[in-house]
Amino acid sequence: MRMLALLTWPYVRKHRLRSLLTLAGIVIGVAVFVGMHTANRNVGSAFARTVDRIAGKAQLQVSAGETGFPEETLEKVQSLREVGAAAPVIEAVLNTGREGQGNLLVLGVDMTGDRSLREYDLEDEDVIDDPLIFLAQPDSMIVSKQFAGRNGIERGGKLKLETMEGEKEFTVRGIMKAEGLAQAFGGNLAVMDIYAAQLVFGRGRMFDRIDIGLAEGVSVEECRKKLEALLGPGFQVETPSTRSGHFEAVSRALGITINITSLFALLIGVFIIYNSFSIAITERRSEIGILRALGASRGRVLGMFLGESLAAGLVGSSIGIWLGLLLGGAMTPVLGTMVQEVYGAPQAGEGSEAQWWLIAAALGIGMLASVAGGILPARAAARVDPVKALQKGQFQVIAAGENRMRRLVAFAMWAVALACLMGEGVTFYAGYLLMVTGVILLTPALAGWLARALRPALRWLRPVEGALAADSLIQAPRRTSATVAALMLSLALAVGFAGITRATYGSLLRWMNDTLNPDLFVWPTESITSRTFRFPASVEKELSEIEGIEEVQGVRNARVLIGGLPAMAISVSIEISSRRVPVMAVEGDPKEMLPLAAAGKGVIIADNLSRLRGLHKGDMLELDTPSGRTRLPILGVTVDYSDQQGAFLIDRSLYRKLWRDETLNGCRVYLKPGASEEKVKAEIVKRLGSHRRLFIFTNEAIREYILNITNQWFGLTYVQVAVALLVAVLGIVNTLTVSITDRRRELAILQAVGGLRRQVRHTIWLEAAAIGFIGLVLGLAVGAVTLYYNLEMLKRDAIGLLLPFEYPYGFAAALLPVILLVSFVAALWPGEAAVRASLVESLEYE
Amino acid sequence: MNRVALAVLLCASAGLTQEVRGIIEEVQRRTRSNSQRYEGTLEVMDSRRRITTKRWQYERIGSFGESKTVLRFIEPPEVKGVALLVHNHKERSSDQWMWTPALQRDRRIALQDRSTRFFGTDFSFEDLEERDVDHYDYKLLGEERLDGAMCWKIESRPRGSKTSQYTHSHAWVRKDIYVFAKVEGFRDAALVRRILYRGYEQVMGIWTAKELEVYDARRESRTVMRLEKLEYNLPLKEEDFTLQALRRGP
Amino acid sequence: MVAIVGPSGSGKSTLLNLIGGLDRPSEGEITLDGEKLGNLPDDQLTRVRRDKIGFIFQFFNLLASLSAAENVALPLHLRGWSRGKVRDRAEELLELVGLSQRAEHLPEELSGGERQRVAIARALSVYPPVLLADEPTGNLDSVNGAGILALLHDLHQRLGTTILIVTHDVTVAEGCQRIVTLRDGSIIEDRRL
Repeated sequence: MRMLALLTWPYVRKHRLRSLLTLAGIVIGVAVFVGMHTANRNVGSAFARTVDRIAGKAQLQVSAGETGFPEETLEKVQSLREVGAAAPVIEAVLNTGREGQGNLLVLGVDMTGDRSLREYDLEDEDVIDDPLIFLAQPDSMIVSKQFAGRNGIERGGKLKLETMEGEKEFTVRGIMKAEGLAQAFGGNLAVMDIYAAQLVFGRGRMFDRIDIGLAEGVSVEECRKKLEALLGPGFQVETPSTRSGHFEAVSRALGITINITSLFALLIGVFIIYNSFSIAITERRSEIGILRALGASRGRVLGMFLGESLAAGLVGSSIGIWLGLLLGGAMTPVLGTMVQEVYGAPQAGEGSEAQWWLIAAALGIGMLASVAGGILPARAAARVDPVKALQKGQFQVIAAGENRMRRLVAFAMWAVALACLMGEGVTFYAGYLLMVTGVILLTPALAGWLARALRPALRWLRPVEGALAADSLIQAPRRTSATVAALMLSLALAVGFAGITRATYGSLLRWMNDTLNPDLFVWPTESITSRTFRFPASVEKELSEIEGIEEVQGVRNARVLIGGLPAMAISVSIEISSRRVPVMAVEGDPKEMLPLAAAGKGVIIADNLSRLRGLHKGDMLELDTPSGRTRLPILGVTVDYSDQQGAFLIDRSLYRKLWRDETLNGCRVYLKPGASEEKVKAEIVKRLGSHRRLFIFTNEAIREYILNITNQWFGLTYVQVAVALLVAVLGIVNTLTVSITDRRRELAILQAVGGLRRQVRHTIWLEAAAIGFIGLVLGLAVGAVTLYYNLEMLKRDAIGLLLPFEYPYGFAAALLPVILLVSFVAALWPGEAAVRASLVESLEYE
Repeated sequence: MNRVALAVLLCASAGLTQEVRGIIEEVQRRTRSNSQRYEGTLEVMDSRRRITTKRWQYERIGSFGESKTVLRFIEPPEVKGVALLVHNHKERSSDQWMWTPALQRDRRIALQDRSTRFFGTDFSFEDLEERDVDHYDYKLLGEERLDGAMCWKIESRPRGSKTSQYTHSHAWVRKDIYVFAKVEGFRDAALVRRILYRGYEQVMGIWTAKELEVYDARRESRTVMRLEKLEYNLPLKEEDFTLQALRRGP
Repeated sequence: MVAIVGPSGSGKSTLLNLIGGLDRPSEGEITLDGEKLGNLPDDQLTRVRRDKIGFIFQFFNLLASLSAAENVALPLHLRGWSRGKVRDRAEELLELVGLSQRAEHLPEELSGGERQRVAIARALSVYPPVLLADEPTGNLDSVNGAGILALLHDLHQRLGTTILIVTHDVTVAEGCQRIVTLRDGSIIEDRRL
């Protein structure tokens, strides 16, 4: 410790900027780790909290997937001796249409039902003025105090919301206190009478859920078993905490992405630390020599530098954690909206929450990364020979054997990595890690080789400046290679993401072109993925009577559980599908499977469901429906991108029978040849629009919509690119700062023999550009590998999608000018520092 | 809603000695009728002196312990058409349903925590129950003059397993006509609710208070109820006191 | 040819650096060819240095990564000469210092004397009127030192270049036409031979 205070602190103070940059490596890594996890966690816990708050005192909840169930179920549930109290609930997420207010979770509760489960008293005069008026008027609504405050709504005020019956004005007849339930869904919560909600949201006589309080002396497990036996397998009887656990299953793909990103960010941090420490040790060689000459043991020197890296890790992690928490807070709403769009899970991102385990983990990881980056340079420092270190002008050259060793290890790693391709799961991904580690080991060699290749080009560009810039890189590959490695990794990650985007786009477009062929989509909501609003079955008939419409295909999509995990049931008339939609079969013959499926003799599953669950043609799909457990044969497997969790196609007649659900999510409309799209649209609005909430999308609009959703997911690519650019700036500034220190004399000579300041600057800029370029070239190469593994991951473990490998050339090409520009920006300050150095001192400088 | 008032009387009284209990039984006997109809006006005045007014039509068939009532709101317009159907039973809690015309559906009103307020009035659900005299112990506390009429002051406490939001209540029964003049419900020493009976008139041989005032001590709010067009023992039909009739409307 | 002599710390190198425009005087003025160096902006100063002065250092100060020819060509490139012209001039200069045959060698492959010859060739690039040499033989053995001294004399004769030499070495000083002796920053003797 004393050595640290004595020797390190003055060094740090002297090299303030470089020390900051060193810390920045760890700061970024830790901040990304903490930020991403905090955001994910916030969204997850917001969901859990919403479930929790809404559940109130309920010890068990009965639901039937997303499909809801008939009201009669309530009486059945109430008849059980084990059930003390039972309260039905309907949930709907509505767009408030107010700028920045996001969505509103509307909870339908039975206001005249059992209140013992509620932790709130809705009938209190502090909440509702007049309960009788509230019940008598279906437009009555209670909103949370937070929501009312944010929107300037007072009791008796109006609130316009989209409903089944078009835009409807609600009257706020009550305001909930800002506690308990009102905090669910980030405070964007409203409560309605459940029967009014049924009407307004087109739910018929269905409930979404029943909250249950146990009878005295009955255990949760006992009651759960009884309820399951009573209701059959189509229902889920769960505790509120299990229910919120589903979120985790749903956000798994996101979790994987976050972990990869954090890992990369930390690796990058390791390189920056490694870079800075290597340089510091080169610079402080004589200091180390003196220490050793004065009797410090090797262990002492090693300890001192490890102590430095630990201290750097501690400080960097602390700042990183703080930044990460800020970042997490900022990302939470974005992530929340994204998850909601894609999964329709009712939750709203709330304030950031610090988590002790996360902070401890981040601190640990940050310190570990810092030590990992510092250990090699520290060992090198310990090996410094005191005699040589003190001789002026003598440099200790790293043993040439090391490079050979590195090459051997790298090739060995690649060989193992190739073997790992055969493996699965952890083995497979370990292959990726080995592959990347191999490249990292070879980075100095590769960077040197690339610099040599670049020399003629740079010389041609600027005879003196270019040659000097290239030589600077060639002579000191270690100075450059850590920056190059960091840049390479971050760009590789960005390329990997961009590749997925491209592949997804390509596949989606192809799929849409081939199968998404209805002329119009008539939906009760502006969000096709939202399943809050539904049409009654009669809409199908009403539409088909309109002039110019040839055929209408009602669609009911419902999230159901298969083996406890969510999947999407798509129920349509398969007879219509077989005529209208070409099938891209992966297993089975469309000519055989379609008639069978149309006759309700089985289901057709999407390829991703097949891949995720290991289901194939001829297997039985076990479905738990409100009519009990049903086993349906799988008639075939087709390409279908409908759902990330996997979808299956079931004929509507069979679905209606099994789920007793008559509602529709929307209708696909085929026009008669020659019919005017505009005219038909106008007619639909005229005939149905007056009494129904509906949105008509053209085929084009739907395509755009789907691509938009995809885009949101891939917004992460831009985050990646941003991180890559930041790394580039940091690394390059760092490397150049050291480079100009190392080359002080060289730069001074240049000026002494007549180099203008401009020319000195050019040398620095060109060096920066070369570093950026080399990092880019390697990054693009490693990006190809990363992309391959990303696609495999999506296919094998995340969403079961089989995407083709398509290198994102456009993205790569766009990166070139961006990286060069960023390199240039990074070189500005070091360039100025270089020309400001005193010539006389520099010339005498050894 | 006179029935409501009577229920209040009943739950709040009865006697330890045969004598005191006899007074309560006499009150019950004298108000007995086979059916009833009236139009009621209800004014709720909260602690901030805001007043809300409602009007309804009330019909009852059957008498204590097995009565059926229908209550249809007439005013204000926001609640017009809302109807309540109550089936009272001797040995168990009543069944209650509500009809909301805007939703075109009826719903069951679950048995509530009996201390909660009845639809924003100062009555609690407990105050509306029909109670058995046998469920309480009575004690005569003395005699007092109220508004110029001599009254017995009687204390009642729930007996045995009987639960109530009140630990005990005091009732003032007029000696001249055997009706309640005032009832106060207590939780320990604190007053929870006070009901005043005013404007007694003899209608078809039954002394009936045409005005009741309920005072909620905790919230400092009052509800005043007035009865008009009061009739007893009319020829009402059983089938008008069913869910189907509720849906059909008046 | 002028020799500047004096003990360590007497200000010899500082004087040379001031004349060469590598440093700026805190007081007083340096006039070169009628131009006052003290007031010139940095780039202007560099131009003066580039066109009128050549530097020769004790430690040669060659760029290790460049060959002999490239080192010599350095100031020419910096002037933005065309490639052909640069090549011709570099060849000419190397010939002048007698190193044509070692043009493609890197500094570390050359002997001390050869390195100083390359440095001299670089300093001569555009035949500046003034050559400043800071202990040009200080880092060489006596044989090589004599060779360099001879070369400098030769250049002085043939090209008429003014040469300022800072030296400890009496034999070096005595070969010059004028010897200036410094002590503690002041001239204590100025002798013409």
